[in-house]
Amino acid sequence: MTAMTVGAEVGAPVRRAPLLRLFRSELRMILRRPRNIIGIGLLGLVPVVAGIGISIAASGSSSSDGDSVDGLAALVDGNGMLLPIFALVLALNMLLPLTGAMLAADALAGESAHGTLRGLLLAPVGRGRLLAVKAMGVATVVLLSIVLMAVTGLVTGLLLLGGDGMLSSSGTQLPFVDGLGRIGLTIVLLTVQIWALAAVALAVSAYTEHPLIVIVCSLGLLIVSGVLSAIPALDWLDPVLIISSWESIGEVVRDPLDWAPLGEGVLRAVCYMVIGISIAYGRMLSRDG
Amino acid sequence: MNRKKTALSVAAAGTATGVVGLVLIASPAGANEPPPALPGISAEALVESVLSKDHIPALSGAVEFQQNIGLPIPGLPASSAEGDAIAHVYANGDGAGRISIDQGQSERTVVHNNGTTWVWNSANRSVTKYANTDSDTEDKGTPEQLADPAGTAREVVGLMQRDSTLTVDGTARVAGRPVYQLVLTPKPTERTLLREIRVSVDSETRLPLRLDVLANGQADPAVRVGFTEFKPGPQDPALFTFTPPAGAKVTDGKDAKTHGFDEKNVESLLGGLDFKTVGEGWDTVLTGKFPAQLLSQGLPTGNGRGGETPGALIKQFAKEVTGPFGTGYAISTHVGTALITTDGRIAVGAVPQQVLVDALGQK
Repeated sequence: MTAMTVGAEVGAPVRRAPLLRLFRSELRMILRRPRNIIGIGLLGLVPVVAGIGISIAASGSSSSDGDSVDGLAALVDGNGMLLPIFALVLALNMLLPLTGAMLAADALAGESAHGTLRGLLLAPVGRGRLLAVKAMGVATVVLLSIVLMAVTGLVTGLLLLGGDGMLSSSGTQLPFVDGLGRIGLTIVLLTVQIWALAAVALAVSAYTEHPLIVIVCSLGLLIVSGVLSAIPALDWLDPVLIISSWESIGEVVRDPLDWAPLGEGVLRAVCYMVIGISIAYGRMLSRDG
Repeated sequence: MNRKKTALSVAAAGTATGVVGLVLIASPAGANEPPPALPGISAEALVESVLSKDHIPALSGAVEFQQNIGLPIPGLPASSAEGDAIAHVYANGDGAGRISIDQGQSERTVVHNNGTTWVWNSANRSVTKYANTDSDTEDKGTPEQLADPAGTAREVVGLMQRDSTLTVDGTARVAGRPVYQLVLTPKPTERTLLREIRVSVDSETRLPLRLDVLANGQADPAVRVGFTEFKPGPQDPALFTFTPPAGAKVTDGKDAKTHGFDEKNVESLLGGLDFKTVGEGWDTVLTGKFPAQLLSQGLPTGNGRGGETPGALIKQFAKEVTGPFGTGYAISTHVGTALITTDGRIAVGAVPQQVLVDALGQK
């Protein structure tokens, strides 16, 4: 008994390696699925399409007032560094949550559906570590898709729309490096929000063996949150809804930045992550092989 | 079995932590704190200390605006959600200032410095420049007044106390700062829709941090303008300079045409209104005349086409009333009433409809 404990303690630092290996193999598995590759590739195309659309719209309306595009899109014309932010904020409404939900659905429910989760549960890997690997796989691929979108957006923006530095919505010209910082900030904020949704999806994923249910539940959560936030009588509910800080992400294009709503959004997302992961963990522990 | 228990407790503990976190985020900071203990102050001294501030100190803050007057008012910004800022203000304490107004999809920035005001509108990327405007003097008062704040305060307080009761109603917290609450309540004889006006004055800088207008029969303020964040202190000087970005349309304020309305038209219209006030104090009613055909004239709209007639527009949210004044339309809100008669008279006041009718009768 004592020997084993000692052995385990001696072996403890060595344990990290398998976790990393598991994580790498999980990542390889996710990225080898054709649907994931196609999905991520299409996400990467979104900023390109948006950029082409905006440049066509802008050149078509150059004779008139230029009011044909409004909102953030109006700012993007001739201001290429804003394109990745614009495209990411656009994708936040549906495409990115869909990606997160799809990955989370594959992670546990998908394995159940194929009957492969049983093998994983029986394997000499702790259930907590199994969940950690699955969650890290989902998180990494979500981050990867968002970064890919930002990169294609930035390249498209600089090539098609041009612009020197970034014009903030407050009318100030930010230098190139600051602009990159804003894009980086957008990536971080968006990633955290999608992680929050993916964590909830993962919890659902742990309970069912039908990946479709996970996607339906996650998108249902979004739609219901949207409806609830639109009802004025339920305004008091707003601060706990998962989507309530998504709108404020568009504020990264302001100058000076107001950190308060952004920080609040991250905290809210962390709360949802804690809820999602702990429910998923509880389910994984109690699940029979 | 044991594992199941662990699993359940892990899930429960995690969920509870998350939910508590969400609720903590949702509850505004300091909401449940007892009101701060501040040295007592008389209403007169408080007004004096507010008036003795001859300039706005360096500060940065976020401003919220909420209205619940029971009528959508075009042009007025939609009320922000609880605690959400619609504008950010910065001042350097030396007359320069910056305001950023969030208009949902777009943003308007106003930078004022050294007599020049820049207005930036991100919706169409336009910049309007106003030189030597004195738009910042409105809340400064006249120099003579400022020379003797104590005297002015006595005067103001005396003036107010003719029709209202002015009290300091304890303390509170606004934007996390301890404030005195100065409350202006109409005397019982006043015929007004308003219950009270509450001004929250910062205990340290003596700046009004929030204004609440409360109407009769309403628990929530009908109008609230106030800071949700307030930080006095030196600001980055770069905030108070504005360089029109490349590719922006820059127009001079003098040449700039206001949208929809021709300025001259509006001026002549206002001149013809012949405004005068009836009554005093809280039941002051503003009466005026306007050409009656205006009600049936098409509204000038941005794209040049004749829009709906103002008369038709009014009918949408007004109630048709008849009385000694003839027929007209009454627009009632929680904080005031407006009466527009078909023969071209108008009366507006923070009063019930009957007072307006009386005011129209007094000729």
